[in-house]
Amino acid sequence: MDEVANKIIDILKKNMKEPSDSIALETPLTDLDIESLDLAVIVFDIEDTFGIEIPYNANEEVEDFSTVGAVVDKVNAIISEKKSSGAAA
Amino acid sequence: MAQPKDRRRVVVTGQGVVSALGIGQDVFWNALKDGTCGIGEATLYDTGELYITIAGEVDNFEPREHDLTKQFLLADRYSQFAGCAAGEAVAQSGLETPLPGDEGARTACIIGTGIGGVTTMEFSYKMLFEEKKRATHPLTLLKTIGSSAAAHVSIEYGVTGPCFGVVSACSTAPHSIGLVYQMIQNGLCDLGIAGAAEASLNWGTTRAWQAMRVLSPDGLFPFCKGRNGTVLGEGAGVFVLEEYNHAKQRGANILAELLGFGMTSDAADMVNPSIEGASTAMQIALDDARLAPGDIDYINAHGTATKVNDINETRAIKRVFGKAANELSISATKSMHGHCLGAGGGVEAVAVLKAMQEGVVPPTIGFDEPDPECDLDYTPNTARKREVTFAMSNSFAFGGLNAVLVFGPAPA
Repeated sequence: MDEVANKIIDILKKNMKEPSDSIALETPLTDLDIESLDLAVIVFDIEDTFGIEIPYNANEEVEDFSTVGAVVDKVNAIISEKKSSGAAA
Repeated sequence: MAQPKDRRRVVVTGQGVVSALGIGQDVFWNALKDGTCGIGEATLYDTGELYITIAGEVDNFEPREHDLTKQFLLADRYSQFAGCAAGEAVAQSGLETPLPGDEGARTACIIGTGIGGVTTMEFSYKMLFEEKKRATHPLTLLKTIGSSAAAHVSIEYGVTGPCFGVVSACSTAPHSIGLVYQMIQNGLCDLGIAGAAEASLNWGTTRAWQAMRVLSPDGLFPFCKGRNGTVLGEGAGVFVLEEYNHAKQRGANILAELLGFGMTSDAADMVNPSIEGASTAMQIALDDARLAPGDIDYINAHGTATKVNDINETRAIKRVFGKAANELSISATKSMHGHCLGAGGGVEAVAVLKAMQEGVVPPTIGFDEPDPECDLDYTPNTARKREVTFAMSNSFAFGGLNAVLVFGPAPA
């Protein structure tokens, strides 16, 4: 797993009551006992850690947050988008 | 029909409102009937770094234009809204103010707020932390405290009885109104000024709400399939409540009777509401009013347009009303004035009383495709003529704090 994935798993663990050591990329977020308010806190933590903004609305079903791997992919995509737009500017 | 009561009856003799749809009940009501949307691009703060850029703002609010005395000119915007709404309510009640000593002592003034003078606080922090000023404005504390609206209004009208603010997020207004109702009912007071005010639209608050991920970037579309969150609003809703004989003896024009009040706490979750808490609050309010579910014509729903509230509220209504749920007219006027937070239930109770007076149910606007799980009559898009004899106003706050009011016609 890359650095982004490790950091995201650390953030997930930090926000779980009973942190699991068996979190993998395929793990669905629903298996981690994460509720809507937890997700808002986790997204905030990820944004803060990586200096990015993640579009997320608790009122909508978001495919990007189905599994740990999906979150990692989304964050990687936003980071690379930010880098390319930064280079253009 | 409501049974004659063996307890002191409480009537409404005045109401006042400030909202994104305008200042004053007539402007507000005409906008509601026409299905006007008061939500638009925010102008009170810089939205540059925000992705939520819309709000239900009270446009061009100039306190000097609303006959507010000097004490209000030095207050936070939330207290000014309260002053404005209270002024309208007291004027409509026909009470002579300041209240004479013995009457003032038998009067309550309970005006709550979800968060108080948070824009004053933001401004003072900006001065201290960003601009490195040596001191804040000397009135910062008095402007910020959540009891300042109640205090200002009590000073204005000579209310010397119980006076304080109530805090219960989005149920603040009905809790305030319900408390005064009980004070009058129990004989502690004969009169009361009750309601709530909110003016928390600023950069920091919007940022905080944005971080919770519950706001819609597009609009507030209650009970619709495509709803994607709530929209912050601001304003005030304030009422003059009065013991029935007191009102009758002075020949007051009675707008309605406050018949029932129900309050519960889910004691479950800060953001996910429970059917149990909401339905029990409605049931208690109905029982207090001595009404059957079939007596209610109109419910002004909490209807925040969040994914969870609207389904939960629909299920709670069905649990309480059973088959009668299908005969109800329901609407969420938040679709027009936004979510006024602590003031919400007060602003909405004004809509309820106007609906009763005029026999018109205001609509839920922006209503396109209904959510299949929200399958009641939400009065989509257009106001409807309907005699409204008994009506309910629902408020369900963060933390699972529920408060419900039931109104009926002036006693015959």
